[in-house]
Amino acid sequence: MDQDTPQHEKEMDSYTQEVLERGVSRRSFLSRTALGAAGVGLLGVAGLGTKKAEAAQGTEALEFAKSSDGGATLSFLPKPNPISDKEIKTTLTFDVIVVGAGASGVPAALSAAENGAKVAVIQKHPMPISQGNTGSGIDLATSEKAGIEALVAKLMADNNHRCNPALLRQWAYNSGEAVRWVINRAKQAGSPVVDQGTGPQHGIAKVNGYTLNYVTSFFGPKPYTAGDGMRHLAKTAEKAGVKFFFNMPAQQLVQSKSGEVVGVIAKGRDGKYTKFLAKKGVILATGDYQNNEAMCNYFIPDLKHFGRKQMDRTGDGFAMAYWAGGVIEPIGHTKMLHDFDAGPASMCDMPFLAVNREGKRFVNETVDMSLFNNYLRDAKNAGHYSQIFDANYMTQAAKWPGKLVPPEGLKNYMPDDPSPKKGVFDSLINTHVADTLEELARKLEIDPKNFVASVKRYNEVVASGKDSDFGKPADRLIPVLQAPFYGIHRRVRVSTICSGILVNENHQALDADGKPIKGLYAIGNLGGGFYGGVDYPLTVFGLSLGRCYTFGYLTGKHVAKL
Amino acid sequence: MKNNIKQRRGFRFAPALVALVIGICAGGVYAAHAADAKGGDLGKLHASAGVACAMCHVDAKHPAPVPMEKCLGCHGDTRKLAEKTANVKPRNPHENRHYGTEADCNICHHQHKKSENFCLPCHQPFNFDVP
Repeated sequence: MDQDTPQHEKEMDSYTQEVLERGVSRRSFLSRTALGAAGVGLLGVAGLGTKKAEAAQGTEALEFAKSSDGGATLSFLPKPNPISDKEIKTTLTFDVIVVGAGASGVPAALSAAENGAKVAVIQKHPMPISQGNTGSGIDLATSEKAGIEALVAKLMADNNHRCNPALLRQWAYNSGEAVRWVINRAKQAGSPVVDQGTGPQHGIAKVNGYTLNYVTSFFGPKPYTAGDGMRHLAKTAEKAGVKFFFNMPAQQLVQSKSGEVVGVIAKGRDGKYTKFLAKKGVILATGDYQNNEAMCNYFIPDLKHFGRKQMDRTGDGFAMAYWAGGVIEPIGHTKMLHDFDAGPASMCDMPFLAVNREGKRFVNETVDMSLFNNYLRDAKNAGHYSQIFDANYMTQAAKWPGKLVPPEGLKNYMPDDPSPKKGVFDSLINTHVADTLEELARKLEIDPKNFVASVKRYNEVVASGKDSDFGKPADRLIPVLQAPFYGIHRRVRVSTICSGILVNENHQALDADGKPIKGLYAIGNLGGGFYGGVDYPLTVFGLSLGRCYTFGYLTGKHVAKL
Repeated sequence: MKNNIKQRRGFRFAPALVALVIGICAGGVYAAHAADAKGGDLGKLHASAGVACAMCHVDAKHPAPVPMEKCLGCHGDTRKLAEKTANVKPRNPHENRHYGTEADCNICHHQHKKSENFCLPCHQPFNFDVP
């Protein structure tokens, strides 16, 4: 790392302090209870240790997780049932065990193998999986250091300053190398991946006047995605000696008496257990918990009415890390909700008139699509809205940021149009055209009466030149007057939740005292500290996959060299 | 011996299930089964085909969860199943981007409650009739 800012690393950063103070862990609430109780003189002053506090909490604390203040029992984090050696069918020993074959797990495994380790990947799915197309890094050689720091500062602001700056810098200074490596290794197995460079990174080729260049991997176009990309990368990993075990969900970590994580027990399809022992470390790359309803309701109740984009993301890694002594970031996790599929992705942030399911305008449309979910959290809207424009959009919106797709191209996103579809998921397209507003409303599944009234009102606002309803800038106001009328019915759903387990810069999990847990690492969306805002920022297009690749690449290397 | 029994039973009603899946139940004995299955009780269909509780659940009095491997024991390889449903429209439900051919049978085909179309919440055009 060529960064010359050692003052960032000398003492514990405020992010880590905060998570230790307010995060959810086995021991944090116990010691806090002890302190609190001692403070009010209930339990005396001498010798009040963790054990006594635990006893005071009753046996419930031994079976389920507790909230950070000890007040709530978290039934979604049950203590794993002990699995005796008698129940283990097979025991296998490797240097490094990676749990989860996704956008961070597969790179971690390959990276570890290239650095000399004997590696196993255990995956609950029948194959590696990932989503999205774009993964990004910074090209160090052609970027100004002030630019890199300016981008880090911008991302900190995007994260509402609730992240670990050291992790952002680690991405910034290593991602170019890591993303290039992923591209190269996936190509070796025949992936059509390309480096799009700075091209897709609108608005950040210069930050505060400083120059930046990017390495942007594109696994696409759809239906080819990073999922196919990781399946290609896994082929390269297999050639490098990595052993993959599919259909084997991890059940629990194996710890030594001193608490060191020494392996994982996984369950096969036949219901029998295999114990995977790790000489150097276990890297958890198990992803988020969007399909664990109780866990979502606790950590991020905003998600209650939104559809989920993924399946089987049940937070297994959270439970494993928690019971091994790890700390889960406190309530207020960061969410990612998008819809790039219903219509062209390049038009998703263009500030056309937007209406909700009732057919009513609900927001100043210059708000990013990635934030729209905050206005659509109720049961009725549940993430649905429509972008509306008329026959003149190609000329009237020509100067807006983004990229307009002409009417002929829009047909590719229209389920009612018979033309063959290309580069899209045709079960997710949802763009419509109609000669009347009423007909368009029906196709968009919104109330025609409200819709016609909303368009009428919007046209009045546009004609006045001032958006007296929502304050949108005048140059973003174009009328909806001339047929045919167009609508893109978007439905934002949960792509991922990107808050996780407290880690240090080696991506090693920390315990409630801030000490690294020997043998335990967390990467990808299970790793904490990289985000922290209400929503995942779309400043760097492909930051999420770029971060997954980078931390997989670095952590695999680090653990292999132990 | 046990395996033999499984094999034979599999041979007898695996084609029936496939017929249900692709929705071409053309009368006869299978049509009755289809009605049962659509009513949400695939378990009854199994029972009527002579599959005793313990054959899936190990012990009928203390039923154990049924791993997917039990299904495959009678119904065979998922890749073969996927071949049989290759022409189902709008797409093959048994080969998809999420699981390949290895989606757990139980995510759609429930035994003791109504089966569900697991694709539908996200992919509206996939209006499969799930037995």
